Amino acid sequence: MVKNHWCRSVSAKLFREGFGKIMSGSFLSLSSLSLAQETQEQLPAFGDTKWKLFDVSWDAPMNTVTGLTEWSRDINNVYSITTWICVFVFFAVSIPLVYTLYRFRHKAGDQAPPKQFHGNSTLEIIWTVVPVVLLLFIAVPTWRILFKHAQVPPSAMKIEAIGHQWWWEFRYPDNGNVVTANELHVPENTPVHFTVYSEDVIHSFWIPAWGGKKDALPGHKNEITLTSPPLKNANVKGGEMYQGQCVELCGASHALMRFNAVVHSKGEFDSWVKTANSPPTVETASQKAGEEVFARCQACHTIAGTPSEQLPGNKIGPNLSNFGNRKYLGAGTRMNTPENLAQWLKNPAGIKPGNLMPNLGLTDEEIAHVSSYIRQSTTKTY
Amino acid sequence: MAKNLPKTGIISWLTTVDHKRIGIMYALSSLFFLIIGGIDALLMRTQLMVPNNTVVTGDIFNGLVTMHGTTMIFLVVMPLSAAFFNFLVPLQIGAADVAFPRLNSLSFWIFFFGGCLLNASYLVQQIPAMGWFAYANLSSKQFNPTHSVDFWALGVQVVGLASLIAAINFFVTIINMRCKGMTLLKMPLFIWTTLVTQVLLILSLPVITVALVMLSFDRTFGTGFFNPSQGGQVIMWQHLFWVFGHPEVYILILPAMGIVSEILSTFAKKPLFGYTVMVYSSCAIGFLGFAVWAHHMFTTGLGVWATALFSAATMLIAVPTGVKIFNWISTLWGGKIRFTTASMFAISFVAMFTLGGLSGIMHSSPVIDTQHQDTYFVVAHFHYVLYGGAVMGLFGGIFYWFPKVTGKFMNELMGKAQFWLYMVGFNLTFFPMHFLGLEGMPRRIYTYAPDMNWNFWNFCATMGAYVTAIGGILFFVNFFWSLKFGAKAGNDPWDGRTLEWSIPSPPPEYNFAKLPEVTQLDDWWYKKYTHDGKRLNPPSQPVVDPKTIHLPHQSFWPMVLAFGITMIATGFCVPSSGVFVSLIGLAITMASTYGWAYEEP
Repeated sequence: MVKNHWCRSVSAKLFREGFGKIMSGSFLSLSSLSLAQETQEQLPAFGDTKWKLFDVSWDAPMNTVTGLTEWSRDINNVYSITTWICVFVFFAVSIPLVYTLYRFRHKAGDQAPPKQFHGNSTLEIIWTVVPVVLLLFIAVPTWRILFKHAQVPPSAMKIEAIGHQWWWEFRYPDNGNVVTANELHVPENTPVHFTVYSEDVIHSFWIPAWGGKKDALPGHKNEITLTSPPLKNANVKGGEMYQGQCVELCGASHALMRFNAVVHSKGEFDSWVKTANSPPTVETASQKAGEEVFARCQACHTIAGTPSEQLPGNKIGPNLSNFGNRKYLGAGTRMNTPENLAQWLKNPAGIKPGNLMPNLGLTDEEIAHVSSYIRQSTTKTY
Repeated sequence: MAKNLPKTGIISWLTTVDHKRIGIMYALSSLFFLIIGGIDALLMRTQLMVPNNTVVTGDIFNGLVTMHGTTMIFLVVMPLSAAFFNFLVPLQIGAADVAFPRLNSLSFWIFFFGGCLLNASYLVQQIPAMGWFAYANLSSKQFNPTHSVDFWALGVQVVGLASLIAAINFFVTIINMRCKGMTLLKMPLFIWTTLVTQVLLILSLPVITVALVMLSFDRTFGTGFFNPSQGGQVIMWQHLFWVFGHPEVYILILPAMGIVSEILSTFAKKPLFGYTVMVYSSCAIGFLGFAVWAHHMFTTGLGVWATALFSAATMLIAVPTGVKIFNWISTLWGGKIRFTTASMFAISFVAMFTLGGLSGIMHSSPVIDTQHQDTYFVVAHFHYVLYGGAVMGLFGGIFYWFPKVTGKFMNELMGKAQFWLYMVGFNLTFFPMHFLGLEGMPRRIYTYAPDMNWNFWNFCATMGAYVTAIGGILFFVNFFWSLKFGAKAGNDPWDGRTLEWSIPSPPPEYNFAKLPEVTQLDDWWYKKYTHDGKRLNPPSQPVVDPKTIHLPHQSFWPMVLAFGITMIATGFCVPSSGVFVSLIGLAITMASTYGWAYEEP
């Protein structure tokens, strides 16, 4: 899904920064070794044999260990310390265990019972105190990072992330009350203070590459501050994409509640804000016909600058302003193409079982019209 | 009527109050439910074998997720542990039966009918699909309008009642019925972990009972405890659930820890190393188990101070657990270790549980947990603890005590083959899940896109599940084969250390012809060997006329009463006329209580 160039550069960066320090285990070190033979430019793609051999390429779109933001780097540091302590403890247990099993195995014909001894206080004290000390090495950095990131930077931009079965709504109170769905747009390298809540059941808001998650609860607003990562390519057009997903079981299509976070340069973000709520232009006959068909959609869906904005209940379905710009439809389930949109409109439950959208019984012609109306992309100016 | 009930045949089983027979029925029922929970798991793994798979729909998958978790916890691991409590507690403490034999029968039948009620949801195709911890408000009538959640809530309620009754019974039994000379610190460690487990059950089950009543009221009578639009709080359910749910984790693992302690010391032919420390650490685990529930809720917005304190308490629990691991290894040290299927399962418990414990330590840090929460890393973690730990330990227990229960050995060749299939299959399934979690795969998703880099490890995990399934089939083949053709086992086939090995296999209905007296820990061992290892002739059981030993009479009433209670619960799961079903159930309950009360003892 997000097989962009950034994947490769991230893994290369991670390797340069001593990725092996963070991870452990033979699989991982083997894949790092194979990576070591490549330079950044020649990094293998997903299909290459060396990667395929163990298939632990940590540039998976949702991997948790990229360390692109300060918070996720801090998390990785604590994780790194903990992993090494755990590796140490694992060997401190498994080596004595295996040695004991080998040395004290029963030998054929040996009938006499072994010496019956009951314990040793010194040993008991040692293996009580040593773990306590090891745990302190985990606990202290944990608490330090926990309290460090509990503070909200005063400059943080405000965004509301609202969970619905099974899509995400994003509202921008600081930016002209822009509303969008399933595609979060933010400027690069900016602390964003998310107010997270739900309109129905519990969901959980998570962009793994940026840091941890926060549950979206009905009836209670949670808060989390995430800092958007800097752009890897300063000249990129259309922003760089990160994948997020709901991670709390929320019903039949929980697996299909994905979203994308798009990081823009500051200037590009400003122009996105300006255009995000501009009304659609209706020029062709098909678009005009589509506008009429959309009258049947607006009980649930809103498009900024159209009469649908005035209707109650317009939060039932995703806001469709600027829909033509979105990469995916159905909360990350399909690419946003006319064919997929037509398929969706013909049978919404076929793509996302259990969702609230009824089958309106549109004809192929009506579908073509409404598609050309909502997918028209005159506002694609950034 | 009670006096004239037959001693053999189906009626004798339905009316039995003999703790050993009840233990066997617990074991057989939980093995039956193991097959159901296993099929759930295989279906899930088949669906996840490849991306965008369509073996099952999201709704069915969520149903499988829910039923797999609920079945494995409430209908497999808990009752299988209860099978060991039932069979072994009176034998290991030198008693004729449990304190309340009929209550014991009642708790079995309530468990059995409750398990059937839960699984009846499959038959009417209203499978609970909100996850085994049933987070509000997905569990509400609004988001689950069928009776699916009612089957779950009432099924778990009934099964919980069974555990509560059994817990009181075993607590009283262990405190009051120990044979002469068996002071608390001379009890086998299995009895200690059982005792701690019963205390955890007695203290934690009322919490889930109340929570389930609130949930049922929300769903049936429209109250709003967990409904935000009525001023209720969804988070309150999570607190109530995990105040029960975390002690529950130790309820699942402590009996297996006790079993493993017995097996390791028997097969190393040595006393348990650091027995008193093991006792204290079991108590510490039980105590701390009540102070860590909110670590399941680090991402719900508890605030930093609560998060920091719960993480500290969670880390602390690693200390008594680690102490146990090193004591088990030291128990083996200096021994003469015989590698039987039982001891191999017990040793694998130590190894697998260590791995599960280490990933648990990772989650105890809320900083790390904020990334791992609700990913496959967590799935890997708790399967290492509950499957690699509890289930492997319980399998060890089955192989270890099968000769005592049946008088026959289980086949060692098939047993070892099963062990290796389990080890390979288990690790192939669950170790890759750590990677999947780090690669961000959320748990409980029924499908995933092909370009997430999750394909390879999911495929491995599914293959591992199939390998495990072959091991499981082999176990059942072995089980029935051994019942018929197993090699004959004597009274003390493993050269054991605890009192159950001093009586015949299978034990007579009255257990001990003469109630034993003990003077020390591992008393039976020291009846066979002097302290410097010279062989003694152990005293044999005196010959008595069984008719002179008073035993409680069989009774139909516990089963009928259990049926009535389950029927009351069933009323909540039936559309429209449910109240009549409940009223009939109530009538049966009252009539059978009356009958029970006036039946001769």
